[in-house]
Amino acid sequence: MTLNLCVLTPNRIVWDSEVKEIILSTNSGQIGVLPNHASIATAVDIGILRIRLNNQWLTMALMGSFARIGNNEITILVNDAEKGSDIDPQEAQQALEIAEANLRKAEGKRQTIEENLALRRARTRVEAINAIL
Amino acid sequence: MYSSNLPTWVSSKPSNSNKNILLYQFNQNPFLQFSKRLPPKSLSQSPSPFTRIRCRLRELRKRIETVKSTQKITEAMKLVAAAKVRRAQEAVINLLYTINESLQCDDVDCPLTVIRPVKKVALVVITGDRGLCGSFNSAVIKKAESRISNLKGLGLDYTVISVGKKGNSYFSRKDDVSVERFVEGVGFRTAKEAQMIADDVFSLFVTEEVDKVELVYTKFVSLVKSDPVIRTLLSLSVRGEVFDVNGNCVDAVEDELFMLTTKEGKLAVERDTVRVEGGPISPLMQFEQDPVQILDAMMPLYLNSQILRALQESLASELAARMNAMSNATDNAVELKKNLSIVYNRERQAKITGEILEIVAGAEALT
Repeated sequence: MTLNLCVLTPNRIVWDSEVKEIILSTNSGQIGVLPNHASIATAVDIGILRIRLNNQWLTMALMGSFARIGNNEITILVNDAEKGSDIDPQEAQQALEIAEANLRKAEGKRQTIEENLALRRARTRVEAINAIL
Repeated sequence: MYSSNLPTWVSSKPSNSNKNILLYQFNQNPFLQFSKRLPPKSLSQSPSPFTRIRCRLRELRKRIETVKSTQKITEAMKLVAAAKVRRAQEAVINLLYTINESLQCDDVDCPLTVIRPVKKVALVVITGDRGLCGSFNSAVIKKAESRISNLKGLGLDYTVISVGKKGNSYFSRKDDVSVERFVEGVGFRTAKEAQMIADDVFSLFVTEEVDKVELVYTKFVSLVKSDPVIRTLLSLSVRGEVFDVNGNCVDAVEDELFMLTTKEGKLAVERDTVRVEGGPISPLMQFEQDPVQILDAMMPLYLNSQILRALQESLASELAARMNAMSNATDNAVELKKNLSIVYNRERQAKITGEILEIVAGAEALT
């Protein structure tokens, strides 16, 4: 009894295979999903998705999305997803610093919103690399 | 004093219009003298009558060579464009699946569905990055311009977000149009660009700087036809239907899938309607957060996918337009080459005849 996980972005299918367990960070906190979970629809925050395959955890950075869980089938729709192993640590760190600088410089409500989003995304990417255990 | 060459142009349109030319350069001979009238595509002549015919032959030969290589280039471009159209379409397939996963919403308030009295409109104009694609870019820009004058006539304020190098260069030259931001992509359209545009549009709308966002892009109708259309992006209508500016429903349900294949050796487009059934939502399904939060999370996704779809459809139409333009250019190049060859052969034969006559006359004179 394993879960079938499907992570979809508009461009491509990022992940489409079976997993043992996932940990998802939603707007209302982190939830763990095991096989035979109840049917649920949830909004996923900009954060990290942890996938367990045979006692090995993988991380993926998700940039805000929606997840539907039902009947041992998990479908996650994201605008952008990156596997932790695909992210370059240097580049992610730099992006984080740039985003922080931009946020400090932001003027007006609109720019603040944009820079906030960018900052959260950059932070997620950095966490995805660091969280590989 | 070596005579140089003439400019020659290969038009990529059927002969009655002269926009968009593929060029191959020759320089002008400053000492132009016409003694014999040749058809207009003929060459200039060098001053000395002795070298005249030889130079002309050489020039003719060169011209034939260049036309031949131009033809190869345009043919190659046509095939490359065809291959890219295929890629763009495959990207759209994935998109459609995600769109059709969205849930039905009843009367829930979401910042993106708010209908405000319209005072300012944002236009997102999607053009191409490169030229040589016929009237593709100018058609979109013309449509955008007409909408702008429309808005001006209604007394509404507007701002433009321009995507694509061609549109950017056009709008940066026009001083009376206020441009919000220029977006330039790198090669193939990715979700990251759509994300950037979506972010911009989202923040513009939510902070009430604009009250309505419209998308101006080209819809891919067939390999030879593409239509620039204007679509209202925000505010999103509740039932998930998408309306044109004139109130016509431009729904995603009737979407078609285009496949570029070959039929009897020629490229053809096959259409396929995508019918993705929305799976029944299990009645036992719980929602982790309240509907408002979930909708808040979904709307940006939906917005993103709409923009991405417009970008990719534009890309597909641009490539199809380029294919057509290059194929026309190739045909014209073939015809030009034929004409030049005929002139060349005539000249060559005349020269040989002249030499023979000289030799015969010389032999006569000696005997």
